[in-house]
Amino acid sequence: MKAIEVTNLHKAFGETRAVIGVNFTVEQGEIFSLLGPNGAGKTTTISMLSCLLRPDDGDALILGHSLRKDPMGVKSVLGVVPQEIALYDDLSASENLTFWGKMYGLRGAALKARVNEVLEIIGLTDRARDRIKKYSGGMKRRVNIGVALLHKPKIIYMDEPTVGIDPQSRRSILDSVLALKSEGTTVLYTTHYMEEAQELSDHIAIMDHGKLIAAGTHNELVRIVGEADRITLSLNAESARLIEAWKRTRGVQQVDAEDGNLTLLVDDSNQVLPRLFEAAAASDVRITSVDIQEPDLEVVFLHLTGRALRD
Amino acid sequence: MKRILDITFKDLIELTRNRMTFLFLLIMPIAFTVLFGFAFSGGGSGPEDPRLPVGFLNLDGELLSLELTGQLEASTVFRLVVDPEATPEGLEQQVADGDLAAAIVIPAGSSQAAVAGDPVPLTVFVDPSAISGMTIEGDLQAAANRMNNAILTARIVVAVSGEDSAFEPALGEALAAWENPPIRVNDTTSVPAETGSGSQGNSFTHTAPGMMLQFAIAGLITAAQVMVSERKNRCLQRILTTATSRLQILLGHYLAIVILLLGQFILLIVFGQLALKLDYLNQAGATLLVMLTTALCIGGLGLLIGVLARTEEQAIMFSLLPMFILSSLGGAWVPLEITGPTFSAIGHVSPVAWSLDGFQNILARGLGLESVLLPSLALAGYAVLFFLLAAWRFRRASA
Repeated sequence: MKAIEVTNLHKAFGETRAVIGVNFTVEQGEIFSLLGPNGAGKTTTISMLSCLLRPDDGDALILGHSLRKDPMGVKSVLGVVPQEIALYDDLSASENLTFWGKMYGLRGAALKARVNEVLEIIGLTDRARDRIKKYSGGMKRRVNIGVALLHKPKIIYMDEPTVGIDPQSRRSILDSVLALKSEGTTVLYTTHYMEEAQELSDHIAIMDHGKLIAAGTHNELVRIVGEADRITLSLNAESARLIEAWKRTRGVQQVDAEDGNLTLLVDDSNQVLPRLFEAAAASDVRITSVDIQEPDLEVVFLHLTGRALRD
Repeated sequence: MKRILDITFKDLIELTRNRMTFLFLLIMPIAFTVLFGFAFSGGGSGPEDPRLPVGFLNLDGELLSLELTGQLEASTVFRLVVDPEATPEGLEQQVADGDLAAAIVIPAGSSQAAVAGDPVPLTVFVDPSAISGMTIEGDLQAAANRMNNAILTARIVVAVSGEDSAFEPALGEALAAWENPPIRVNDTTSVPAETGSGSQGNSFTHTAPGMMLQFAIAGLITAAQVMVSERKNRCLQRILTTATSRLQILLGHYLAIVILLLGQFILLIVFGQLALKLDYLNQAGATLLVMLTTALCIGGLGLLIGVLARTEEQAIMFSLLPMFILSSLGGAWVPLEITGPTFSAIGHVSPVAWSLDGFQNILARGLGLESVLLPSLALAGYAVLFFLLAAWRFRRASA
């Protein structure tokens, strides 16, 4: 059985179409990332998959439970880490975890033991009795994640869990996601940080303007842009002759000129770059800046949408 | 059920950690009760008679009408207001104006008619739609029944003995016998309390429950803020991702507010009983019923405010507005009995008026459980209305 099977999911808010015909499948035990800029439709998708929003059309099976026909069944197998820190400020970490454990159906000694375990996992045992409002942003994030681990769900949704925190807490969270995977938990992870998706994910789906525009493993996605390095150059003067020369240079796949910059797709930037400098010198043109990008998800996104991921 | 109680318990922890809760639920009502109590007592110039004012005109002046007057004067529900220059028309007008709760006129020749066995038509002016009117009619009927029975007894004695002079002593003995009736219903909860019970004459009888109700509504600020905050910090959405239904969430919050209000009522009633000498416990069952239905009603209002308010500021505004409107309209500040019948009728749009009716029946009139059934029913109706509105809004609101 697949962990998650999403079929033709649609959601609109008035005139705004937030999610348009999204389809994807997540295998059990893998980390699957939804990558896209803010407003791409990631949170709306995850809200529908959490039964918080009712899809306008389409459905999804979560471990065989239909969103439409069996929402309580869906909820029973899920842990959700929302984008915002959804905790009670006036309760301590321990009280928050106890309350949420009860909401997930835990009781008595099992609940108490699990709360202590989770406090250990998130490294807050010594601050367990402090109220959440006294915590730093990173500590709150850790408790926020801890809540979703309480009932050991088979599937965890994490909606941009690293937004607005310090690098140390971020590293800790990424490590905890990898630890979840090693325990066999399926993780659906949304982020607009390309590096996180790249590091964590078995499969990645790229979303933009409510649509899923590409999906696959990191390598499969990179292959979309032909595994070429991207070199962006600035020149001290425009030169059509130089552009023609570079197009004929061995290892150069493509040359595009835009806004005074030249973008070249090349097989291997280490080998091609000296040749580019030679051709520029021959044309009496000086290269004033060079930027090299090896193929990554940022490049894939740029290639697919014409915009940078962080735009 | 467990999830409902879990939410309730969590809410109560949050509420008890908020100092505002204690300010509104305990400190302010006690402070204002004492302040208003002294203000209404005229600076301690002596206790007022809290019984309902009933105009009285005796156009007969013979033995039987004087005996009836004595019976009426002993009422614990109303006090007779006697004006030597009053006329039946004038009394009727005073009732219509709301200056009197009712008026009784004993026609001339009543005593003779009664002795002869003819019916005696007492004239009673009363607003039949008012609770006070119904209460007065009940007590008047009881006095009239005693009088009728005594007259019948005296007439039988005269017939048996054949001596007209036996009428007066027999009447006196028959009336005196009422002081110690052979059949007594010990468990009744509707007869007036014994002389000296209740809190008649205590200047806090109105202000204590009035302020308690006013600040119970004001205290909804903190309860509503808990719900608003839960929605704003996305905890509500998170609960909805667990296998917890919206109804369970709503009931959990509702129960927390009701428990908080009951706690407030118990503390303030104990304070009233011990410190202000208000006799709530004279009719403990009635007090409990009014307290419970009031908590359910105001709790429903709190739930509705919590669901409607989008921000903490709105929660404050949505709580203070009903506090001022419902309290003033419902007679928490000025007793509705001293306003006109029209205002009194309008005032009963407010649940505060019904709750005060209940508490006043217990404290000021010394009445029992039966006297608070109607107010409690009205409060329960409001509770259902508020809860249904809250549930409807909560269901419609996007999470």
